[in-house]
Amino acid sequence: MTTGIRKTIYIVILAAALALGVTVALRTQVPDTPLFAFVLPEPNPVPAFSLLDQHGSPVDQSVFEGHWDLVFFGFTHCPDICPTTLQVLAAARTQLVDIKATPLPRIVLVSVDPERDTPEILAQYVNYFGEGNLGLTGSIEELRKLTAGLGIYFEKQATTGDSYAVDHSAAVLLIDPDGGLHALFSGPHVVENYVHDLPLIMSKQ
Amino acid sequence: MNRLLIILLALAVTACGAPQPPLVASAVEITRPMPGRSMSAGFLVLENTTSDPITITQVASPQFAAVEIHETTIEDGISRMRKVDALIVPAKGSMVLERGGKHLMLMRATNLENTVTLQFMSEDAPVLNLNYSFPLEKD
Repeated sequence: MTTGIRKTIYIVILAAALALGVTVALRTQVPDTPLFAFVLPEPNPVPAFSLLDQHGSPVDQSVFEGHWDLVFFGFTHCPDICPTTLQVLAAARTQLVDIKATPLPRIVLVSVDPERDTPEILAQYVNYFGEGNLGLTGSIEELRKLTAGLGIYFEKQATTGDSYAVDHSAAVLLIDPDGGLHALFSGPHVVENYVHDLPLIMSKQ
Repeated sequence: MNRLLIILLALAVTACGAPQPPLVASAVEITRPMPGRSMSAGFLVLENTTSDPITITQVASPQFAAVEIHETTIEDGISRMRKVDALIVPAKGSMVLERGGKHLMLMRATNLENTVTLQFMSEDAPVLNLNYSFPLEKD
């Protein structure tokens, strides 16, 4: 057997092995699944509550129906975690628009500091992060109904002068159009994580 | 007291044209107050060029009624923010003030325009004066 024929045989064998490898890899590939969100086995209905939106209009749990909502619990006096998280959500939403993803989630800030976060202040704040966002505020009692049912923690800390902080859960919740808690992003909050996971989760509804 | 003297001497030497001040700030970012808010946050890296730790006990700004040092921590999924009494920048080392960590809380802005002046104090002596200009806003 000449060297040329031997080389040709080697190339044919290599090409066949490569083709077989690619075929096997494609057939055994795991379907694309959310990598960063914890998706609940069954959506958990949002509990009944009565709060105000950023326009001062009364809203209840039905405010979450008909939308995919990314819900964050924070407050407007929070200087770093809250604006940073909302900026991440806004940037993720912009990227989803750019890639023509449908449906698109609405961004919701539920204030855990209703003492200072009036509807007017919330309106200015949520509008800063884009159009169509929703802000919720109201009485502590009604707020507790919502947060307790969703496993969200918040607690006002000791006051020094007119300054105080509010400890709060850092998670972002994804509520589905049926008004059910569908998934949870526990952080750290990264734009690309949302852009990867949200279309996969929301397209299955 | 000796440490304070060293810092003061270092500042004085700096004023005479020596190359390195005791404390150098970099990667400075001060956020503009959100609409309707009068509060900003400050993030930066402080580098101590001396052979002694520098303890920052106070930060003041003519553009804000109060400046406090705060620290945000996230443990077990809970975000907590607490006031910090002092920042210790280690000798020949650095201290990072960043989102989700230690940062400056600038409260009750007054006459805030495009610049912020910050004075970092150690035991009532200034160790760093900083002028920051907000980046131009994009249309």
